[in-house]
Amino acid sequence: MEKMRFLVSVAAFALALLPATSHATIDTIAVDVGISVFKTMPIGVVPFAEKKSIDWIEEKPHLIVTRDANLSGRFDVISSDKFDLPKFSKAHAKHYITGKVTPVGKMLKVECFLYASQTKDMMLGESYVVEQKDMRRALHQFFDQVIYRLWGERGVASTKLAYVSKMDGVKQVVVSDYDGFHRSQITRDTTISMMPVWMKGNAGLYYVNFKTHRPKLYSKTFGGVERAVFPHLDQTYSPAVNPKTGELLFSSTVDGKTDLYIGNPETGKAKKFAYLKSNQTSPAWSPYASEVLFTSDRGGGPQIFAMGKDGSDLRRVTFMGRYNERASWSPEGDRIAYTSMDGGYMNIYTCALDGSDIVQLTSNAGNNEHPTWSPDGKLIAFSSNRSGSYQIYIMRKDGSNVTRITNSGENTSPTWSFFYDDFKQPKKEGKK
Amino acid sequence: MKNFVKLAVVASAAALCLVACAKKQQPQTEPEAAPAPAAVAPAAEPNADSLAAEQARLEAERLAAERARLEAERARLEALINQIMSEDVYFDFDRSELTEKAKELLAQVGELLIKEERFTITIEGHTDARGTEDYNFTLGAKRAMKVKEFLAAYGIDGKRMESVSYGKEAPKVEGATEEAYSQNRRANFRVNIKE
Repeated sequence: MEKMRFLVSVAAFALALLPATSHATIDTIAVDVGISVFKTMPIGVVPFAEKKSIDWIEEKPHLIVTRDANLSGRFDVISSDKFDLPKFSKAHAKHYITGKVTPVGKMLKVECFLYASQTKDMMLGESYVVEQKDMRRALHQFFDQVIYRLWGERGVASTKLAYVSKMDGVKQVVVSDYDGFHRSQITRDTTISMMPVWMKGNAGLYYVNFKTHRPKLYSKTFGGVERAVFPHLDQTYSPAVNPKTGELLFSSTVDGKTDLYIGNPETGKAKKFAYLKSNQTSPAWSPYASEVLFTSDRGGGPQIFAMGKDGSDLRRVTFMGRYNERASWSPEGDRIAYTSMDGGYMNIYTCALDGSDIVQLTSNAGNNEHPTWSPDGKLIAFSSNRSGSYQIYIMRKDGSNVTRITNSGENTSPTWSFFYDDFKQPKKEGKK
Repeated sequence: MKNFVKLAVVASAAALCLVACAKKQQPQTEPEAAPAPAAVAPAAEPNADSLAAEQARLEAERLAAERARLEAERARLEALINQIMSEDVYFDFDRSELTEKAKELLAQVGELLIKEERFTITIEGHTDARGTEDYNFTLGAKRAMKVKEFLAAYGIDGKRMESVSYGKEAPKVEGATEEAYSQNRRANFRVNIKE
């Protein structure tokens, strides 16, 4: 089975590398590549030419592109000071990225190119005129175009993360670009804010705050005001946004009993989601919102269960170990990521939808918690105290390529944004 | 950025102080407001008017003293209860059952509450730092509920008790040692004056 899968993926991979493939063929291939174990594509990166000397404050563009490529989980970067066909060829880098930067007054004109190594055909060319501080975001945009061109799928270089950051001893909700840059603070309370999740369409966040001395859910659109959601319910937390309707599934604790509720955060109307004897928390939606995962304590400790959105087909998912919590459903639909406690430490695992095929992604590195899938399903962000303090990391969905994206303070509980709606498919480039 | 945060903290501290000060002054300002319309009327009986003002002032003082006494009493009771409870750790890891020791201590708390019937309590359930935030909220809620159920069985009216879970968000002791963990698997009490 494993071997079979490998063969399929290699074939698919080779096809994906053909420079002249049309979008239609790439689309069908992308599915196969997604389920395979073998999945990175070598790509060359060459420093951008600089017209006139530039006073660099930010990282140089080829380094930003290199980081995007490494973080994406899709590429192996072959760095080279200049175009080097023998080097690229040896490493099977069928494409390379380079560009040109020209100062235009106080702005920079940043031209970005994707070339086929062998033919030197330009496959993609984009030009941005930006201030230097905005160049990183422009390059993220370009990189997502590269991914679309080579994989036929959307990349996540222009997505964001929300997480919790301790500031002057108080947990606050912050948002940054997916790579940890352009961080901005969302809550400014003297009481704890936590558990941020993204509204549908990324217009704002839902989160929990303790200003009433009880955990309660609030919403805040970016640049807007804070609003209590479902204020009539006691102790609301653990929010999960329905990716199709924007409805909120969450926990509410009344008289010590915790149940799941589902409600419309706009109207404030909510009802009990399931009538179960156990306590339930940490809900998560399937990619098409037909099913939910949640944690129940009906066996004593926390275990993960699944059921239909209508409450049908309740089934237990995790059986290994005594503490399995915070499941989240992969955007590709085929796996569940969750945290499990063993020997007093939290670690991240994935398993198939029926609980089989368990893979441990983190080990021997402090606590590793709160996995959140990238919207393309290729990556998992999480928080870990492996460095001594809690920081946010990104890894591939197989646990490889762990990269730290925050550096100071205490940062926990990341949740990845949805895709942004403004993505435009790259136009086809002619030969130049 | 950092300066801004500091500013915000200073500002919010100032705001808090304002709120706190305003609250303290309330007992004086409220009763004094009543005689004000009389002062607008022609001073036919200046003596009666000043007498009324004097009475109001005394009444305000008496109310303030009463409140201060109640507040001191409340703080004393809260400290007493939390001191009783801090003598022992009474939840095991991922458990919400009360230990025998915890029951003995809670019986003392029950006695206090039976004697001091003007006070209501909020029972806060807490967990140690291990595990997820979400599950620890449910665990803290179960612990607070077990305490509430015990006190209800002891004879305390359910209306005098409220329970809330802080999960792992409000540790008593920082640190990742079993010692710190065991101190944090607890229930705390907040004592309030019945309205």
